[in-house]
Amino acid sequence: MNSPTKTKQNKLIIAKEMLGNLVDRRVLTALEVCVRCGICTESCHYYQSNPKIEHTPYYRAELVRRLYRRFFDPVGRVFPQWFGAGETTEDLLSKLAETAFSSCTLCQRCTLACPFGVETAEIMRITRSVATATGNAPDILVELANAAIAKEENAELFRDIYLDQIKDLEKEVQDILGSSKARIPVGEKGARMLYVPLAGAHTIVPQAVLFNIAQESWTLGMFEASNYAVFLADGVKAKHIAERITKEAEQVKAKEIIIAECGHAYTTMRWDVPKWRGSPLPFKVRSIIEVLDEYVREGRLHLDSAQNSQPTTYHDSCNLGRKGGIFEEPRRVIRAAASDYREMTPNRLHSYCCGGGSGLVAVEEWADIRLQAGKLKAEQIRQTGAKIVVTSCDNCRHQIKELSERHDLGIEVTSVSELAVKSLA
Amino acid sequence: MTLEIKSDQTINLEGLLCPIPVVKVSQAIKNMAVGGVLEATATDPGVLLDIPAWVKSTGNELLSIKKEDKLIRFFIKRTK
Amino acid sequence: MVTAGLALAGAAILVAGTVTIMVAIQRRPYQAEIAPTKGSPGQGVLYAFTLGMAPWAKESARRHWVAYLRGIVFHIIIFVGGLFLIASPWLTEFPSLLRVSLAALFALGAALTFAGFGMRLSDPALRRLSTPDDYFALALVTLFLASGAASAAQIEFLPAFWAISGITMAYVPFGKLRHFLYFFYERAFLGLVFGSRGVLKWKHE
Ligand code: SF4
Ligand code: SF4
Repeated sequence: MNSPTKTKQNKLIIAKEMLGNLVDRRVLTALEVCVRCGICTESCHYYQSNPKIEHTPYYRAELVRRLYRRFFDPVGRVFPQWFGAGETTEDLLSKLAETAFSSCTLCQRCTLACPFGVETAEIMRITRSVATATGNAPDILVELANAAIAKEENAELFRDIYLDQIKDLEKEVQDILGSSKARIPVGEKGARMLYVPLAGAHTIVPQAVLFNIAQESWTLGMFEASNYAVFLADGVKAKHIAERITKEAEQVKAKEIIIAECGHAYTTMRWDVPKWRGSPLPFKVRSIIEVLDEYVREGRLHLDSAQNSQPTTYHDSCNLGRKGGIFEEPRRVIRAAASDYREMTPNRLHSYCCGGGSGLVAVEEWADIRLQAGKLKAEQIRQTGAKIVVTSCDNCRHQIKELSERHDLGIEVTSVSELAVKSLA
Repeated sequence: MTLEIKSDQTINLEGLLCPIPVVKVSQAIKNMAVGGVLEATATDPGVLLDIPAWVKSTGNELLSIKKEDKLIRFFIKRTK
Repeated sequence: MVTAGLALAGAAILVAGTVTIMVAIQRRPYQAEIAPTKGSPGQGVLYAFTLGMAPWAKESARRHWVAYLRGIVFHIIIFVGGLFLIASPWLTEFPSLLRVSLAALFALGAALTFAGFGMRLSDPALRRLSTPDDYFALALVTLFLASGAASAAQIEFLPAFWAISGITMAYVPFGKLRHFLYFFYERAFLGLVFGSRGVLKWKHE
């Protein structure tokens, strides 16, 4: 029954329906307010790294705007050309999908550049939803989201492997601290903090070292913090993946969820999950860098900046910084841990995306696109003369590492936690 | 004695942090013929969970995954 | 008097259209930030409508200062033009100095809006992405200000000004000119979201 033309028609119908449903007040406003003035042009790292029309924020948004007007605007439905809208085809849908996934990292930098504050990222986010629903999303993001769900569905099976792995890591922590008492507790009821790592050991071992030193009451989460369904803008799966963590926090009766150094995982748990649930979470949510900053300020962690004398800079993850307001916390820790700290320009609120955000680092087919878009970041890093680049997001970390190889930056990329461990007094 | 698994392609994922090993495996499997076997070595212990989970959700077959000291070696057969 | 009717009809369409749009916006779902705040949504909104729009707050505005300044100035002039339209039935009672000043102001406004054609056509990206709606709106606003200038100088042009005002107002709800309304929503959303996340605030550490 599923003839190719029929599926195509279906896809268009699904696209139209989804677009109609997903355009909420914020997105509608973002669609309607743009006057095509071009002021945001250079605000996007894609454009800065490769100035062409397709890399302007408003070009991307305009693609969706026109589609939307053709579908839903009273004038646009009758005279689509009046708003520059062309035919709605299957090709247009896949072009939109590719644009939303490969040529916008949802970094929100253009929003602050626009005189109105047009949220192009929000428009691209719903475009990702439409693309995901019509089967136009990158396979790997779907696979990674599904793998996360598979882990939960086979929790019993994975539990033993995980616990084994953690036993090994606990030994590493004990070696580093020179104490057989150091622990990595898992699923420990009554712990104050549930620390949610990523899949890699680099998000478990250094943090465990620091928690042990600070004598924190903590327990390690069973599931990783990353949520690839967020990149797909697949609301149902994203909620499901996030709930694995909130359920666990409820089980262990934690007072706080602490998210590993990961941009989107923090934004998701801190800001989005409450919206998805329709109520605030019954526990506090913080990033590990906020915790480390607190330790340093309260004197629970003594760092010695003399241990790291190489020039060091910090890259603001868009999620933690521009979308999360975490600007000073990492800087305070880094200054305590490194003696030669330098800023990139611009930074903080106006920091440029590294080019790897919103799942792009996972899509191998588009590696060239993202590495090209990261040219500007590479240049910024070079200008600081830094030898160590600290970032609080694994996606940024991976991207900057690859940028270093491509642009011969000769830098080491690390996280705030790892830097802190290296500077233990 | 364990049976030697014969692989059609080998990739080195050592030093890569999760989820990049999964990304590379997914890419490599896509470029293989159905029935082909991929062998990979990695160092991030996260793959011990990530690879089995990915295999489960994609329906491929994990022939073996073993930790040899710091090195993790695994074999995946493309099934569809 | 026909043209006065046209202006009134246009105004009625503008009002009805604006209300309809506002109802349509309100009908859309809205997800407020409900997580405990890191900053202050109120401060964010205040910031978004004030300092957040200051040209020096934006690198983009510094880079495009001509376009940015042009935008700010002609929007203010259009606002004054609107007030002038309301007061225009009593134009004969305006002191002549005021009339001359208004004529000059509106002429400047018309020149600035007319320059929009040049900006759109000379920039390759803008040229490619501009729509008939953009040019039509630009033409209407230019004519609105030009006829405003003419009628402030010469009362005989008042009917023409009314006619053009009527058409312009009537078009607002149907094309890009409706951005005037969405502007307030966009700044408010920006302030609410980025304010509660502690991103937009008066002073950063
Ligand atoms: S997004 Fe804003 S700055 Fe960019 S073209 Fe539209 S209105 Fe102008
Ligand atoms: S959100 Fe970021 S990547 Fe997307 S268009 Fe804006 S500046 Fe570019």
